[in-house]
Amino acid sequence: MHEVSIAQSLLKIALDNCKKEGYKGIEEIKVKIGRASGIMPDALLFAFDAVKIGTIAEKAFLTIDEIPVSGFCESCNSNFTVEEAFILSCPKCGNISIRIDTGHELHIYEMDVF
Amino acid sequence: MKVKVVTHILEANDRIAAENRKLFQETGVYVINIMSAPGAGKTSLIERTIRELSGKLKIGVIEGDIAGTDDAKRIAKLGIPVVQINTGGACHLDANMINEVMADLPLKDLDLLIIENVGNLVCPAEFKVGENIKVMLLSIAEGDDKPLKYPLMFQESSALLLNKIDLLPYTNASIEKIKKNSLSLNPKLKIFEVSCKTGEGINKWVEWLQSLIK
Repeated sequence: MHEVSIAQSLLKIALDNCKKEGYKGIEEIKVKIGRASGIMPDALLFAFDAVKIGTIAEKAFLTIDEIPVSGFCESCNSNFTVEEAFILSCPKCGNISIRIDTGHELHIYEMDVF
Repeated sequence: MKVKVVTHILEANDRIAAENRKLFQETGVYVINIMSAPGAGKTSLIERTIRELSGKLKIGVIEGDIAGTDDAKRIAKLGIPVVQINTGGACHLDANMINEVMADLPLKDLDLLIIENVGNLVCPAEFKVGENIKVMLLSIAEGDDKPLKYPLMFQESSALLLNKIDLLPYTNASIEKIKKNSLSLNPKLKIFEVSCKTGEGINKWVEWLQSLIK
């Protein structure tokens, strides 16, 4: 949820960076969004296209790397990666002693600027 | 030209939450962030908690609602310092909103600050505001299927209060099902069964809260 406020926050981070470094325009912003972050990529793209108007990011593409939920099961000692956003137990052995390693990402990692 | 940025998108909120937390620590205030769906009993729980701790701990309250001051008025009647935040539309409190009202409370004189979040089973769980712990309420009347439908709030909370247990004879809700599913999401969750109406179970909740503050 809150894709509009997330889009505004990520735009602000990008614009502040440009102001600080003296860049004139942004062509692309790359973000990592985990599947368990609660953010829907389509909604974020839509929101970004709305908030970027009138800024130096106006023509920028937002590229979203969707990161799946992955982790490790302390019971059967195996790594796993799943399609779902939430899991309660190891997909292999069903035990609940699992550690989630990826899937909660919500960050910018790169921009293409001029 | 490609440039590396690497910034967490909610960094601004988390940074302000950390500043809030630092000030609370410096003034010796323990902070709990209470969340639930609308009508589950947050304000009633706060009233009960204040009464039980009267004379033992100095308490302050921040009330959060989209509009209105009803909740703050209820707390003010108990002679407790209280501030009402009206978000004007935002469905949750964020760190900046708390930061803006902190100066209106006598933090140096308080032992415990209770933040009552906007009634919402989804969004408040996503935002840190500078609290020590998050506490959530679920009322029996909401049904026993809620943990698996709203996992994040159950995962983020340190305590779950099952309220309105006086209504158990009139609903089909299973306390065992709620507990089982909540603990599968968060094995460390502390669960209390209470009725803010009759007072049942409130003493156990208050004892636990006091043990955290010491």
